[in-house]
Amino acid sequence: MTETSQSPRLPQPVATLGPRHMGRINGRGLWTLYVKEVRRFLNVFTQTVMAPMVTMLLFLAIFTLALGRDNVTFGEISYAEFLAPGLVMMAVIQNAFANTSSSLLIGKIQGNIVDVLMPPLSASELTLGFVGGGVTRGIVVGVAVTLGMWLFVPIRIHDPLAIAWFGINAAVMLSLLGMIGGIWADKFDHIAAVTNFVIVPFSFLSGTFYSIERLPETWKFVAHLNPFFYQIDGFRYGFLGQHDSNLVIGAVFVGGVNLCLWLLVHRMFASGYKLKP
Amino acid sequence: MGGQGPSWSAPRDLRPVNWRGFWTLYRRAALRYLRSLPEDVGGPLVSSMLFLIVFSMAWGAAGGEPIRGVDPVTFIAPGIAAYALFHGAFENSAFPTIHDKLEGIVQDVLGAPLTPLEMVAGYVLPAATGGLVTGAIILGVMRIFVEIPLAAPLYVLGFGVLGAMLFAFLGFLAGLWARKWDRYSVVDTFLILPLGLLSGTFFPLAALPEMGQSLILANPVFYAVDGFRAGFLGQPQAPLLAGAAVLLGLCALLAMTSWILVARGYRLKP
Repeated sequence: MTETSQSPRLPQPVATLGPRHMGRINGRGLWTLYVKEVRRFLNVFTQTVMAPMVTMLLFLAIFTLALGRDNVTFGEISYAEFLAPGLVMMAVIQNAFANTSSSLLIGKIQGNIVDVLMPPLSASELTLGFVGGGVTRGIVVGVAVTLGMWLFVPIRIHDPLAIAWFGINAAVMLSLLGMIGGIWADKFDHIAAVTNFVIVPFSFLSGTFYSIERLPETWKFVAHLNPFFYQIDGFRYGFLGQHDSNLVIGAVFVGGVNLCLWLLVHRMFASGYKLKP
Repeated sequence: MGGQGPSWSAPRDLRPVNWRGFWTLYRRAALRYLRSLPEDVGGPLVSSMLFLIVFSMAWGAAGGEPIRGVDPVTFIAPGIAAYALFHGAFENSAFPTIHDKLEGIVQDVLGAPLTPLEMVAGYVLPAATGGLVTGAIILGVMRIFVEIPLAAPLYVLGFGVLGAMLFAFLGFLAGLWARKWDRYSVVDTFLILPLGLLSGTFFPLAALPEMGQSLILANPVFYAVDGFRAGFLGQPQAPLLAGAAVLLGLCALLAMTSWILVARGYRLKP
């Protein structure tokens, strides 16, 4: 009895064993990595979304109070309206960077990076998964800050396409930079130094708080070398409809920088630089 | 040898104050601060200078007018330095407290023959000192670029110390309350940042509407910033003596609270 009932079943498990075929893209793996990256920051929602919102609202308050009282206007735009899109972009920049850099660095230090490197994920899938998480954080924070500012400042939308292009490209760029930083850094001090001495200065000096056109010539030239300037300027154009730089050049420039960074990060994952022994 | 027995076997008398115990705690905190000085001061220094640059550019681009008779950059420089000083004191107090608690090191402090008051002082005083050093370094660097007069050095010192003590106590209390690192950033973002930035660091009281003015006057940090700035530029915006009294009262209250909480072992002892 037992033999007859078992013998026909024997080949079945053997037939189901063997490598799983995933096609050209490991969709489930990519999705899992993306969801992990998103849940990571949503888990500490207060720190990752509410905190930037509060900080940016405070910046809006202090700069408007300090500078906006003389009815300083840019055409028909009040200083607060001018400032708001720049602050949103600053929040996007800082948070996209923080998301990928902290994820990779913590993974490296605590050793759980192997859980990401071991599964059948290619370098392209790893890059896409991490960038996806960083961009999602950037967009979530950007929307939260915009909504927070909307309570105090009239927000109008002039060109949604420019907002989307420059907003997403900024988030992608900073996610990629965060990955480069996270892979390169050995300690938290390293990433803190990159944040304090590179990301924060570049985002502060990018025309968030003032119109570059009104600066002295030397400073104007220096400001034009800053890639964040094109992002903030294009992003602000999407809201207010006025800009300091050539938008097409800006759009192509940020897209080109992103392409180069993407290839670099892909190369880092493929070669296992500072990730694999 | 027998005759000397009691002199070494008897318990050491540490009353009224265990100075050596306190000094050990203080020195430990100072060494901690010095070891991470570049990171502790570098970050705030860069952000303070960025605020100053951005502000002066924005002001220049906007073609603004002097604030209270002085160049706006001269007006905000002491405010930014005060904020860095206060935040430094908070950080230097909250960080070691949480670290010691989570790592279990605090048992070494609780087990030592220290009274609760000595322990509070051992955490809070070095933190205030650290904040003052950070603030002094930032002011020193600012003075290279911005002309900052020094009207009354005693006010600078007095209000600097009072503000540093206030934030060091806040940091210690936050450290006692926090069970996780997350809590540190909650207090930092939702209490310290608003208290520090909406205190007249960047703008004069007159820039606000009526209601805003009374709100700022209700913020004790305003008195610390105002007194600190008056030490450089003269002309305080609120009576200095009243401000000092408010700060002193608040410090005493927080000191009392810290003392009682430590004596009860709040979130320190099982």
